[in-house]
Amino acid sequence: MKLLEITGLVARYGAGDVLKGLDLTVDEGEIVALLGSNGAGKSTTLRAISGLVANLSGGIVFAGRSIVGLKPEAIVRLGISHVPEGRRVFPGLTVRENIALGASNRRGVSRRQLAGEVEEMLGFFADLRRLEHALGWTLSGGQQQMVAVARGLMAKPRLLLLDEPSLGLAPLIVQQVFRIIADIRARGTTVLLVEQNAHMALGVADRGYVLETGRLLVSGRPDELWSNPQVRAAYLGGAAVAG
Amino acid sequence: MQLLFTGFGIGAIYALVALGFVLLIRAAAVVNFGQGEFAMLGAYLMVIGFNVLALPYWLSIILSVLLMAAFGVVFAATTYWPLRHRGGLPVIISTIGASIFLENLVLVLYGPEAAQIDGLFDAPGIQVGPVFMDSQYLSIIVVAALLVALQYAVFEKTLLGKKLQATSQDKEMASLLGIPVATMILITFAYSSALGGIAGILVAPILFVSTGMAGLIALKAFAANIIGGYGSIPGAILGGLSLGIVETLGAAYISVPYKDAFAFLMLLIFLLVRPQGLFGERIAEKA
Repeated sequence: MKLLEITGLVARYGAGDVLKGLDLTVDEGEIVALLGSNGAGKSTTLRAISGLVANLSGGIVFAGRSIVGLKPEAIVRLGISHVPEGRRVFPGLTVRENIALGASNRRGVSRRQLAGEVEEMLGFFADLRRLEHALGWTLSGGQQQMVAVARGLMAKPRLLLLDEPSLGLAPLIVQQVFRIIADIRARGTTVLLVEQNAHMALGVADRGYVLETGRLLVSGRPDELWSNPQVRAAYLGGAAVAG
Repeated sequence: MQLLFTGFGIGAIYALVALGFVLLIRAAAVVNFGQGEFAMLGAYLMVIGFNVLALPYWLSIILSVLLMAAFGVVFAATTYWPLRHRGGLPVIISTIGASIFLENLVLVLYGPEAAQIDGLFDAPGIQVGPVFMDSQYLSIIVVAALLVALQYAVFEKTLLGKKLQATSQDKEMASLLGIPVATMILITFAYSSALGGIAGILVAPILFVSTGMAGLIALKAFAANIIGGYGSIPGAILGGLSLGIVETLGAAYISVPYKDAFAFLMLLIFLLVRPQGLFGERIAEKA
């Protein structure tokens, strides 16, 4: 079943079009990877879905409902949670507080229920347990990423948008992050993943889209993308997987 | 000791106004030059409620504070909201314009004569050891302390407080989590205006209530904010208190006419020696 359907999406920042007519679908239960070089429009696609791009045309339909023109607050209430690039953990709040605020899109969550759900997240992201009272700005990049993902999951989203979750992290931490992404899908959440690390992304994804300067270059299953020489050479680090 | 008590009382007023000032900087990145007018309007509402309409003292206070909170929302909707995407400077200019407008509006509606208002208590005060505690100064200190405690409880112990803090730290991220950012900002404006109003009501029995009171209070609150550390909440409180004490001591031991100059001299010294203020910026940038 189609959970997200984007048709002919055009997004503008200032003078230029960043997205020039993008078509993309995400089915319920999938992990879809959005790949491409810097400036291809990957992050803009996620920002457009979340309602952060004002100058937009084309269609974005989520669970059968058009969400173009809705405010970010309204979109997250419908069940799309966005973990943005750079983690954006609130620097002056503790890990526990940051995670708890992730439930702000859901009404009628009691204090007790909220505390229980935060506990559950601290169980899922075990490394955060000893840091629960640490302020956001004191965390390492990897720890901030865990907090950002935990906070995103507190929204109980149907669709989780993850923007560059591996950026700036040590290789061991990157592997941990991708294990978590696979776990998230196993819990029934659909994931749209933006990544520069194509190897890792296609390792967990069911399908991938490769963007080039705001347009779709090619899409398909990971094995189809790997076997496309143009894609491999330009975007997937062809030399590393050749042979 | 006596002077310290008086300085503490005056400082508590500056601290309350500075606190409202800092909250708006943090929540909406608004440097509000109308903060002194919030105090002036609060004092005038008290004059109208108690002196003109002859309402009971306590009812006048409650009505004035509620009206000031509502006024904060109107102030936000007119001076901040239409310019919120234009960066800091247009909003600053807009608040300066609003402050001039408000002073003149009061002049037109109430007239230029200064008003006087009774203190909260009939008793002049109590003698504690060598210090005579004037009842109005004592009420200022007690109310200010209660408000600071209340604010701490709301900001640190409630989910609403955490949402307000999140909004002040990263508005876009707050909106992505479903926090109603516009509502949070309006709440901050309402609270900030009510705080200014309370400061005006408390100081009204000590000073004459006039349109001129706004400018000086606003400047002192701004100085308190710089001395305490720009954008710092504990800094605003400590900055306000130290400013009140310095100017009272200066007036007593050096020169009464130069009372205000001591406050601004302290500001200049801080800008030269410790420009980040007492508390600096608590939140460090980290990639």
